Amino acid sequence: MTFDQLAQATQYSLPQHEKDLVLLERLAELTEHHRRHCPEYDRLLSILYPQFERPSSLEDIPYLPVGLFKSHMLRSVPEADIFKVLQSSGTTGQSPSLIALDRETAQRQTFALSRIMTHVLGPRRLPMILVESPALIQDRRRFNARVAGLLGMMNFGRNHFYALDENLEIDLEGLKSFLQRFGREPFLIFGFTFVVWQYFLQRLAGESIDLSNGILIHSGGWKKLQDIAVSPAELRRRFLQETGLLRIYNFYGMVEQVGSVFLEGEDGYFYAPNFADVIVRDPVSFRVLPPGESGILQVLSILPVSYPGHSLLTEDLGVVHSIDRSTCGRLGKAFSVSGRLPRAEMRGCSDVIAASR
Amino acid sequence: MADIELLIPAPGFVPVEDLLKSLKETGGPAFSDDMVNFCANLSRLIFRDREASRFPELTALAFWMRKAEILRMREEFVKLERPDTLLVPRGLVLHFPPGNVDTIFIYSWLMAALTGNRNLIRLSSRSTPQSEILVRLLREALDKASGAVRNSTAIVTYGHDVELSAALSAACDVRVIWGGDETVSSIRKIPIAPHARELTFPDRSSLSIIHTASYLDLDEAARDQLADQFFNDAYWFDQMACSSPRLVVWCGLAEQATRASNLFWPALAQSALRRQYQAAPAVHMKKLLFACHAILTTPISAYHRYGDVTALDLGALEAYSQEHCGGGLFISASIEHLADLRRVVKRKDQTMTHFGFSADELRHLAVILSGRGIDRMVPIGQALLFNRFWDGHDLLREFCRLVYIGMPTNTTAL
Repeated sequence: MTFDQLAQATQYSLPQHEKDLVLLERLAELTEHHRRHCPEYDRLLSILYPQFERPSSLEDIPYLPVGLFKSHMLRSVPEADIFKVLQSSGTTGQSPSLIALDRETAQRQTFALSRIMTHVLGPRRLPMILVESPALIQDRRRFNARVAGLLGMMNFGRNHFYALDENLEIDLEGLKSFLQRFGREPFLIFGFTFVVWQYFLQRLAGESIDLSNGILIHSGGWKKLQDIAVSPAELRRRFLQETGLLRIYNFYGMVEQVGSVFLEGEDGYFYAPNFADVIVRDPVSFRVLPPGESGILQVLSILPVSYPGHSLLTEDLGVVHSIDRSTCGRLGKAFSVSGRLPRAEMRGCSDVIAASR
Repeated sequence: MADIELLIPAPGFVPVEDLLKSLKETGGPAFSDDMVNFCANLSRLIFRDREASRFPELTALAFWMRKAEILRMREEFVKLERPDTLLVPRGLVLHFPPGNVDTIFIYSWLMAALTGNRNLIRLSSRSTPQSEILVRLLREALDKASGAVRNSTAIVTYGHDVELSAALSAACDVRVIWGGDETVSSIRKIPIAPHARELTFPDRSSLSIIHTASYLDLDEAARDQLADQFFNDAYWFDQMACSSPRLVVWCGLAEQATRASNLFWPALAQSALRRQYQAAPAVHMKKLLFACHAILTTPISAYHRYGDVTALDLGALEAYSQEHCGGGLFISASIEHLADLRRVVKRKDQTMTHFGFSADELRHLAVILSGRGIDRMVPIGQALLFNRFWDGHDLLREFCRLVYIGMPTNTTAL
């Protein structure tokens, strides 16, 4: 199956053994493609995987550490074909990832994202609440992954309403009139997890706001939530209690694989769309771990054509809970993400020269 | 000026002037019996401490300052004097130890204290279990020490505070700065008295050289033993100590080097397993990232990964960049002759651990390398063993002033 066929097909409809075969073929092709067109990728493979020929399973597909894109901009298309460079928002003190996109890859990303989102939103654009301030996208100097993500999600809505002002204060009156107009039909709410929790839900407490027809999609910023010890279950419980909102979907994704996001099912686990997958590896030996065991996540996606990001070893910890056995009708792996590898504190008398420079 | 936080002698905050005044009139003759006994006592306390025994570097410190060793050093010290020159303490020594090699402050302090100086040590505000243990034991030992020993040492702690550093720096006769290049440069901007001198221990880089044929002559048990020794050098401080090897150079025929390193790295990984060393997962990720970076920026020809050991073969030794990530990642290269090290050694290189070479060969190399780098050549297994000769200095000498005493000679005497 080609990318188009995989994207067109109903998402989460491939049993894992079938998906393995289909993705293996596509990812093996992409590996060859990047070898031919990205000299750095070819060099890395020749040293890190000297024995590599044809992969016989998904686990054999070579992976690069995701952090490499912070120090090296790798591309597999001529420079002239690059029309956009995506930049991660990046944590303080770290250089951002730089991802080179050509039109084909960008189109794939857009199409892929729409296939994932329409799976839960339906085919029509919904009235949309953005849990953001309009200032975020007006300030062009801050165009980064967060803004790109917001703009990407805005495509799935209409009659956009920004629920926050530039001081992150909620616009309750505006919200009430939005709900008066659209609240009786399904509508979409989008925001970054921490912002949604801190500046939206917390301010709705006791306001008798009815969001029961809403579909909330949120992502990112879970680290901050962990810092204040809010679990995904707690987020769901509070939303239901305060606003009647039931349909909540978190997604896991990264700028190095835009468009290839892992959206939660109704059971609260993440699922890979038809054109992507995850593998859990031991964080020390990098060997593949069976379901039930926690390790670092390797993310696979057939979207990246313009840069060799089709197989990446992340620094995120997660676990596959079941395969083809979900209670929400989705096939493939059901997984959760538990956090990030704890930072390494090393001793010694010299200044550390970070590899990512 | 704010009061300064004192850890030793008594914890609490004191005005800086009072602290400096209290350190004015003390100190004693070099290697006084009181001082020797104090060292012996501190050594015993460390050996006996249950918490300290968890850290091999503390045990090594205790071993180094046991009585027999201090007495041997006293003999060496006496030999430094001549009939017409007397070695006397320089006065007040101010130490800025590194934030994260916890034992260095004791070594640094001890060399200055043994030679009769008064000492003021500034510990950074982030403490580690090791430094807390040492401060606790030091306090215990000082409580029992003689007045001269007890009153000649103070340990203070504060974060980044230029004003405090300036007040202490203005008062000292010797300032000792350990740490990264940036730390050294920023403290160096703070003036010291015109007569005062400064010893700096900035970022360094270290390597190991192995005589390939001699290594291949070893039987398995001897190879394992060498791996254990190499393990101590490299892994005690997660390969982040200045004297821990990062580059391993095989000296001999190139094809033999491949055979030797194929034995060496797995043996090292086994040694790490035996010692139950396990780097944090993030360290493994960091090493993989660094390996990718190195592959893209230097002529790496092969990547090996055995447990906690990552080794990258470097095709051309000249391309060695000295960039590093620590945690057990080694650059491996081969040369035909020892003198070929000329092509790679720089001023920044500090310790070269060696295996399979004669003293003459090493001396010859030192002559060839003079003006370039390498301050220490020690057998594999001794990279972290501190002694008076460090970073090209003889610390016993550096902390002393020479007093020349001339007398009328017989020919001019009436």
